[in-house]
Amino acid sequence: MRRPTALELVATLIVLGAIVPRAAAQEPAAPAPAPTAAVSDTAAAAAPAPAAAAASPVPQASGESWLTGTLDVGFRFLPTPGGSFETYRTVVNLAQGVRLLGFDLTITEPSRKWFDTMHVRASGWGDPFPVFHFDAKKTGTYRLNVDYRGIALFDNLPVYADPLLASGITLDEQSFDIYRRITSVNLEIRPGTAFTPYVALERDSSSGTGVTTFQTGGNVYPIADTTDDATNLARAGFRAGFRHFDATFEEGYTNYRSDQNDSASGTNYGDSSAPVTGQTLDLTALLAGYGVRGHSNYTKAIITSSPFSWFDIYAQAMYTVPLANVNYQQYDTGNQVVLSQLLFYTGEQYLVSSTTRFPHTTANVGWEIRPHRRVRILQSWLTDRMTNTGSANQSDTVASAGSAASQTIAALDSSLAYHNSQAETNILFDAGHGLTIRAGYRYVWGTANDAVLPQNGLLTLEQDGLRRNVEMGTISWHSYRHPQLFLSGEAEVGESGGTYFRTSLYNYQRIRTMGRFSFWKRWQVSGDFRIMNNHNPLAGDSYKFVTHQESLTLIYTPRSKVFNADVTYEHCGYHSNVEFLVPESLTPGDSAFNENCHRISGMLNSSITGFHKRTITLEAGGAAVLTSGTNPTTYYQPTAKMMAPVAKNVALFAEWRYYGFGEAFYQFQSFRANLMTVGLRFSR
Amino acid sequence: MLNAAYLRRSFGISGAAALFFIAGNSLAQKPTVVPKTFGDDYAGSEMCQLCHEDNFNSVTHVNAHRVLETDARYGYQGHVCEACHGPGAKHASTGDIAFIRFPSKLSAAATDKICLNCHLNQPTHAGRIQSTHAKNAVSCPNCHKMHVNGGTQLVARKNADVNALCEGCHANVKAQFEMPFRHRIPENAMKCVDCHNPHGTVRPTMTQTFAASEPGCLQCHGDKRGPFTFEHAPLQFDGCTACHEQHGSANPRMLIRPTVRQVCLECHANMPNALAGETKAMAVVPPAFHDLNSPIYQNCTVCHQKIHGSYADRFLIK
Repeated sequence: MRRPTALELVATLIVLGAIVPRAAAQEPAAPAPAPTAAVSDTAAAAAPAPAAAAASPVPQASGESWLTGTLDVGFRFLPTPGGSFETYRTVVNLAQGVRLLGFDLTITEPSRKWFDTMHVRASGWGDPFPVFHFDAKKTGTYRLNVDYRGIALFDNLPVYADPLLASGITLDEQSFDIYRRITSVNLEIRPGTAFTPYVALERDSSSGTGVTTFQTGGNVYPIADTTDDATNLARAGFRAGFRHFDATFEEGYTNYRSDQNDSASGTNYGDSSAPVTGQTLDLTALLAGYGVRGHSNYTKAIITSSPFSWFDIYAQAMYTVPLANVNYQQYDTGNQVVLSQLLFYTGEQYLVSSTTRFPHTTANVGWEIRPHRRVRILQSWLTDRMTNTGSANQSDTVASAGSAASQTIAALDSSLAYHNSQAETNILFDAGHGLTIRAGYRYVWGTANDAVLPQNGLLTLEQDGLRRNVEMGTISWHSYRHPQLFLSGEAEVGESGGTYFRTSLYNYQRIRTMGRFSFWKRWQVSGDFRIMNNHNPLAGDSYKFVTHQESLTLIYTPRSKVFNADVTYEHCGYHSNVEFLVPESLTPGDSAFNENCHRISGMLNSSITGFHKRTITLEAGGAAVLTSGTNPTTYYQPTAKMMAPVAKNVALFAEWRYYGFGEAFYQFQSFRANLMTVGLRFSR
Repeated sequence: MLNAAYLRRSFGISGAAALFFIAGNSLAQKPTVVPKTFGDDYAGSEMCQLCHEDNFNSVTHVNAHRVLETDARYGYQGHVCEACHGPGAKHASTGDIAFIRFPSKLSAAATDKICLNCHLNQPTHAGRIQSTHAKNAVSCPNCHKMHVNGGTQLVARKNADVNALCEGCHANVKAQFEMPFRHRIPENAMKCVDCHNPHGTVRPTMTQTFAASEPGCLQCHGDKRGPFTFEHAPLQFDGCTACHEQHGSANPRMLIRPTVRQVCLECHANMPNALAGETKAMAVVPPAFHDLNSPIYQNCTVCHQKIHGSYADRFLIK
């Protein structure tokens, strides 16, 4: 299980250690004079804001501390989970050990010389998903954001990629154990002023190991796999803001690399043990590697303007050109066969070099017109166009003892072109007394072409078109008399004249209602109901599905505040049916999927003032999911927490969690685990 | 890296931006709707402070809206409270709440109008007209708390707080995250706004964009970015949700069906009476030699492992 390295943890602590003493060293300054209440004159209001005015010191509220925050550290105990540990890691992946569970620090520099406020947050350090955030700003001068996020991705479910499981053979053919790191740094200069330049750097990288498959010579072999990829994005731009007009212009550059190396040694008989004309297939050695290098430029421009009090308009255009260059090399030995020629061979060299260019343009214009104080008209138009052109040169050489090597050279060009547009109009009418009515219409159209040249085999040339008319309507009521009463109903009906895929929306109806109401001053109830029905009536593409969700939430907050409770129940259903021809027999078949689920979650929070007038908080609750149908599953997550102060700024907390997962058809994948965490919270 | 087409398009966009810039500058010279002088119906912030000291302190000391109080550019210098609550002299003299404006009790459009008086021309609102929030009468104060006493925290920033805010209305989505295979929202390793822009975007369901107009999913799943020499078309047309439940699922890898075969065959299946022309869906023809009775063919991605797109093989095997 990948945990953050000691280096990462130490780096964070160094940053925090550097920040806190520096801020602490600042002597509180005498409060600056209170801001003047003088009324601005016309000339001053029309002139661009002077930076000094925006950055003028502001007095600190009396009694306000320059440093506030909390620090939660603890130790998590994980007794060995029962059942499948691999599934536990796939679903939960929490391990035992010391954890920095939460850190939240806000510093207000009294002199406001270097910054006004600074926030530092961190959580989950030691767990599979640590988060770090740093935010500092000085009004009118700069704003700096730093974000870091780590994600440990682990997946190894026996049934997911084991074609021989039904035969009692447990394979591990598709699994991974990857750690991903996402970092971003964003700096704005003179935020909130008329001209704000900004620059940002982002990096997303991952590395790890896994098991994948290697398909060659009539068989499939599980092999070891290592991956390493990184995407770097640098972007810079400016925002120019005026009273009636704002423009944002941004240029970005991305570079990308992805390396994957596969290897195998020793005799591997693969998934198919059936001999081919009396010979057993095997793989004795493999070295394969992908080297992908890509980059892209993009340009983004956004304009917003409200030239008149009754008219707002915005427009945005985005253009990007990702490119990728690839080298793939593969060397393998064993006893393999080219099935189409029944040609047996003992060694293969397969080389591919390819390049791809993928220009993508998106443009969007929208405006809002208010012809009457009760009427708003919203209109928008969007177009999205992309064209992927790729070319690959392949060289495949096979050799066997006692015969000459056979080389096949191929050049393939691929093309995927896509154009999608939509225009939409909505009219909103404020009927008074909190009642708003909306009626809208959307037209969506587009074309798509997918081709591989020269034509060879199946799936070489496809083209399709999309045409869809959608009518929409909403009624919402927010009571003035009872501000806690809100009701909303939304309906959407779509009819299509063509779609790209048979599983795309075709003729559909969607309804959603939701409401919220508070009663007896202490209770709040909210409900949500939604249903969607889709049907593709075409004889060749028949497909239908119905999905619905009904949820009800009840919240109780008594006046005494000794405790409060909330509970949510949801029932949902998903039913779909796709007709198809069974490939090997060309007889009609159904792909049916049915899922009924019940989900309930709730939490009871209690505060008890007891010994030495110290308040102990207790929480108990959790969530449970039960599904039935095609894939019956149960998943229980009860939890209980306690926090009790032990000194002025120190509290002891403890948390218990249970995870129980079960699948009716794959009981060997079930697991259950108890986690206990004990720690201290330091606060100021 | 740079080529003629790219330069043409870049200059085209830049030119359009410049035109709007010039036009906007000329429009900016016209009279504004913001009051520049205050009549007798305005009381001034200090008058408000006499009764509403907590709110006054939060707004004028630590809240980002304090610039209204101090910065003449916004036209409400010394009148930060009345920027949103309207003229308050009559309310101050009588104490009657009938004479003061409560934005939270106005219609969504009227409330938004108050906020957009200053915030309309910002890039976060570029997609506002297309957002379902705007169309469904969800106004700014539903998410932004104006009197909060927490620095710049007019809206939740911590992952847990953001998620709780969204779940307040989207209880059904919260329930989806209780499924076993999910994005890590319940653990607060992520927040809803990592994937959705609540102000609206050009993409469906207000999903974020990455590096211009690419799907926001690629922000974290960079290895699926491509461009691939041999694309899997649904990934580009319908996005990740063509095969994955984006919030949570009882199916491994958040697939929309419990087995991989079901996901694939719903598109890749020979259909009787397949129609010609535009009404024929793409990718309906499967490799017909596959014997699906054989377990080796029952999980398509065992062989077609590069299912998100391949750099080397047109059948997505390598």
